Amino acid sequence: MTAPNIWEVLDRACNTGQIALAKDFDMKIFNVASRLVKEYDIKYDPETPVPSDDSLADDAWNAGLELFREVGAYCINSGRVVKFSESEIGDALNELRGEAVIGEGSERRVVELRSVEDKRPPSIVCGGVIESDFPEGELFVRLYQSIAQEPIIDGFYVGPPLHTSEGRLVRSGTPLEAHLGRSMASWVREAIRRAGRPGMHFVSACTPAIANVAACDPNEGLRRTDGIVSTIMPELKTDYENLNKVVSCLDYGCIEHVYNGGMIGGWAGGPEGALIVSIASAIMAVTVYKIGVGASYNALGYLRVSSPNYSAFVTRPCLWGSAIGSQALSRNTKIINTAIAMTNAGPGTEMQFQEVVAALCAAIPCGREGLSQGVRRFKVKPLLGSGLENRFWGEVGYAMAGVKRDFANSLAKEMLTKYENKITRESEGGPLGHTFDEIYDLNTLTPRKQFLEVYGKVKKELEDLGLEFKYYQTAR
Amino acid sequence: MADAQEETLKKLADAVLSFDSAAAADAARAAIALNVDPVKAIEEGLAKGLREIGDRFERGELYLPHLILGAEAVEAAVKILEGHMRKDQLEATSRGTVVIGTVEGDMHDLGLRIVASMLRANGFKVYDLGYNTKSLDFIEKAKEVDADIIAASSLMTTTMPFMKDLIEALEAAGLRARFKVLVGGGPVTREWARSIGADGYGRDATEAVKVAKELIARGRNE
Repeated sequence: MTAPNIWEVLDRACNTGQIALAKDFDMKIFNVASRLVKEYDIKYDPETPVPSDDSLADDAWNAGLELFREVGAYCINSGRVVKFSESEIGDALNELRGEAVIGEGSERRVVELRSVEDKRPPSIVCGGVIESDFPEGELFVRLYQSIAQEPIIDGFYVGPPLHTSEGRLVRSGTPLEAHLGRSMASWVREAIRRAGRPGMHFVSACTPAIANVAACDPNEGLRRTDGIVSTIMPELKTDYENLNKVVSCLDYGCIEHVYNGGMIGGWAGGPEGALIVSIASAIMAVTVYKIGVGASYNALGYLRVSSPNYSAFVTRPCLWGSAIGSQALSRNTKIINTAIAMTNAGPGTEMQFQEVVAALCAAIPCGREGLSQGVRRFKVKPLLGSGLENRFWGEVGYAMAGVKRDFANSLAKEMLTKYENKITRESEGGPLGHTFDEIYDLNTLTPRKQFLEVYGKVKKELEDLGLEFKYYQTAR
Repeated sequence: MADAQEETLKKLADAVLSFDSAAAADAARAAIALNVDPVKAIEEGLAKGLREIGDRFERGELYLPHLILGAEAVEAAVKILEGHMRKDQLEATSRGTVVIGTVEGDMHDLGLRIVASMLRANGFKVYDLGYNTKSLDFIEKAKEVDADIIAASSLMTTTMPFMKDLIEALEAAGLRARFKVLVGGGPVTREWARSIGADGYGRDATEAVKVAKELIARGRNE
């Protein structure tokens, strides 16, 4: 048997799936997720942000699988529910290759499955700056050159689209954005050429499909060894823009990077519901977005929707969900699953580094294959992002290889103690941080002394806590 | 009799707290039968339940579906109570009318649903246009329902400019003074709101409700 192919999936999404009101679909998720949380007795434990309980991970996996089987996925444009039988889901999971090949030439990387507490380092360290408030052209090239020149970084995420194209304000879905998608890809190619790494992998994260498709060009733009980001919207929802990206990736033959996750406080309820809906989302990435075809991979994240809404990805309940979700997928599937961290604090601050450490405690010791979508400040201000925090992202990712979950739990708690109380309304969620031109000397493209000192101080504190930095012993 | 009335007020609050629209409607009918002042039934019964839900949402103990179900229970009861209220009572209990949506090109709706539910929970009449709402559709609906506030959200930097369009379209139609404009969403900042000439900004649902109340109060004093 084989799983339904993309054409059958699209037929269900566009033509034949049962029509339902979005509200009814949302409430069904809430009802089913609430029931499954009770049935599997899954309970959020704030004292253990990184649990070591294998049976909890397996229960979460089974609950997520049941949730997806019962609820399916929802296409916003058609109002149709895309459902799969138990055997179709099983076939789709069995078709996963458990391997992805990215980049080309000397920058080719093979992303392999990792197990929980695996001693091997993450297979891919994909950095980037999730930031749109950079000017077009040279400064944007310098930003990505500052990331590409870090040997520890294997690739990066590029997006969302900048604010302007050819000096004109960009609105989503307009032709200026399509042109911008192409421009951004060509600037990134220039950045990796200047860094002496022309084969380096990147993923394009423009919102409309057309802006990513416009970037596809083996010579000057997005190659088949690069990727396009498609998103599963909360919860278990897709739309024609994202399905257009999926089809374009398959038709062009490039890598698909699916971004999805659970929303704590949203349609699935609290941390427990968000955990199982995130696992259902990963199954949706396999069945609907077809990440089992070719060399595609999945990025699983946890957001918290509540007040104050600053706490993207790195709060205590988000870490708990991420840690169990990572273990659940690692123990039960061949999904290539990468980590995301959107921080509250901005670049060049101790707090941002601490948030990165906490995020990675819940990822690499828990069996994630790699890192993708580097750090960002949740509320944007201009020029927030640099190569320096990408270096830290990679170094800590490597340091986490072979770390036991118990130690990751104590380290995550230590980090949370340092920054949790700074995520407040009064502080706007934490320090804004420093801009690219403050952190780097733009002539030599090197980080300035004061920021290297912050970097060194945090690293020393981590070493004192028992974390061993080993990238330079294990570098390829 | 007073005990029976107190008991009914408690039943109204409990029905909201248990997210039970049918029980809320039954309690509203019982309140009318016992000659409970409908305004009192709303303020000391239904609103009490909703405030509790709002507080528990803030503390992370309840979630978006609870906000929606609680607001639905209130609406079911208010529909019955309104039929027994004088015109001056109807005006006094109405916080105002809000037309809300996510701007054009933006398919995010989760934050929008939270703000809409919190506004309902605080006594606003809310018309939720959902995601991907064109500026002219906001305006048409606001005219149709004689809204006080148009609330627009954006979750992407590339859809934020459509908020500016909304204000320009209101100006072009000569309607800028008629409707207050409240904006919010992930990348939206207070500075952005000020720069496009919005009347208010809410960085989260709690602040959005607070600002909406201020805008209504300001409108009544103008």
